[in-house]
Amino acid sequence: MIVRDVICPFCACLCDDLDVHVEEGRVTGVDNACDLGSHKFMTDHRMEGPVRRTASGWQDIPLEEAIRETAELLQAAERPLLYGWSGTCGEAQSAGVHLAERVGGIIDATTSVCHGPSILAIQEVGHPGCTLGQVKNRADVVVYWGCNPQHAHPRHLSRYTTYTDGFFVKNAFKERRLILADIRGTDSTNVADEVVRLQPGGDYAVLGALRAIVRGKGDVVPPEVAGVSREQLFRIADLCKKARYGAFFFGMGLTQTAGKYKNIRNAIELVDELNRHTKWTLTPMRGHFNVYGFNEVCTWMTGYPYAVDFSRGMAFYNPGETTAVDILARKECDMCLVVASDPAAHFPAEAVEHLASIPVVQLDPFPNLTTAFARIQIPVAVSGIDAEGTAYRMDGVPLRLRKVLDRGYPDDVTILSEIARRIGEGGGA
Amino acid sequence: MILNTGRTIPQGNSVEFKPSPEYGAETSRAFLAPLDLMDMGIEAGDRVRIRCGSRSAVLTASASDDVLPGSLFVPYGPHANHVVPAATHGTGMPDFKGIAVEVEPTSDPVRSVWDLMEDLGGKRYDR
Repeated sequence: MIVRDVICPFCACLCDDLDVHVEEGRVTGVDNACDLGSHKFMTDHRMEGPVRRTASGWQDIPLEEAIRETAELLQAAERPLLYGWSGTCGEAQSAGVHLAERVGGIIDATTSVCHGPSILAIQEVGHPGCTLGQVKNRADVVVYWGCNPQHAHPRHLSRYTTYTDGFFVKNAFKERRLILADIRGTDSTNVADEVVRLQPGGDYAVLGALRAIVRGKGDVVPPEVAGVSREQLFRIADLCKKARYGAFFFGMGLTQTAGKYKNIRNAIELVDELNRHTKWTLTPMRGHFNVYGFNEVCTWMTGYPYAVDFSRGMAFYNPGETTAVDILARKECDMCLVVASDPAAHFPAEAVEHLASIPVVQLDPFPNLTTAFARIQIPVAVSGIDAEGTAYRMDGVPLRLRKVLDRGYPDDVTILSEIARRIGEGGGA
Repeated sequence: MILNTGRTIPQGNSVEFKPSPEYGAETSRAFLAPLDLMDMGIEAGDRVRIRCGSRSAVLTASASDDVLPGSLFVPYGPHANHVVPAATHGTGMPDFKGIAVEVEPTSDPVRSVWDLMEDLGGKRYDR
């Protein structure tokens, strides 16, 4: 059987044109997906059933028991952290926010270690955003700053920018100018018309110099800024000003380097300057397929996009204090529920160490490195493969993920709702 | 030297099954400028130890003309994160890029991802 027009649940491009071949409850082939998407559909290393870590090894346990014990651990905790959420659907994220409120815990998403700083900058100076359809049909100058879409979002260029024609861009490969800014050469810089090779940590200064030039204060720019020549800066500023429609995309190169949200604020203000001359928009290259969804869901439920602390009986948000890495590094939480992410692989060791001293429960289809710290792991269905639900693309467009096969696993919503029901039966927290 | 971490296609391909040898091999690679390898007297395939404060990790060196001399690139994962400091400077985001580290040749072996997790108090999932 071939299931057509399937949405890919890997990255936040949410490519919606996959054909998935299914035979006897297994995915046997995927058409149109990139390497990353294909591997996700084809990976078949799922955990069979719930397990508990014991002194002597790993023990199979019934689902009922795993849910009961998780509810008891959450209820007994004084300061539980509910972390992850970017690899599941909006309905599960909603159940997670309700659960966090019920147990007076902290809920944070992988946002805090990807585009959290972008949100902080947007909260300061706004978001000149657009849908990816606008970029595809209109943009004649595209900037990718501090990102490598060929590796992290492999179909971004072929679906929205360099390699796809648009309504107003009839021959994209010739008409679209591609500017890549990075500290190293990548497969993305290899296809750019203009490559800005800046020194590590030089993003803020280079963006500031471009702002000065666009504003007409180019005389203050020195011969070289963070490894970038004055001539190239003027050339890029000119290219950007002459665009009919410019699209600025950026990644971890801005959010994870020194300056963090101030880098993004500078990028947004550059886009603001450019909008005095022509039309420009800015879009964060969101990573996980539904990390944006958590920010949407959490915002409409609590008023805040991530890192929400319910311990005061109300939603409290203070990134740097209520974010997962900080909570763990301060050894503050006394229980952790991990859903659809892998903090043990992606957090600094100092934060991971605390997971070893507290009860951890993980909801994830696969054994991952957080499994090493889990007291209990409950394998669940993979959203977008054997569970349906809503996900938000990197431009904020919600799309409905499909269920292409049934492997018999419960989905995240079912498990989280059952945990919440048990806590309710026990009188709440 | 300056350590930068980031995503790569092989890292992404194996990210849904991290116990795999492919994931461990990719996330324990250190891409260095050929001149830096020459200065250290090592070749691609040799091992280096990166150190930041009291934490260190052993990686396999790869030569790359794409990396600026004085810096190294390591695919995002547990090996790099073994030395990345947890401080977020009030933003919630640690410095995953632009970290000052010491790099030296070593004959020590590259540790597996489960070894790293057990160093931090975890228990390997070996079923």
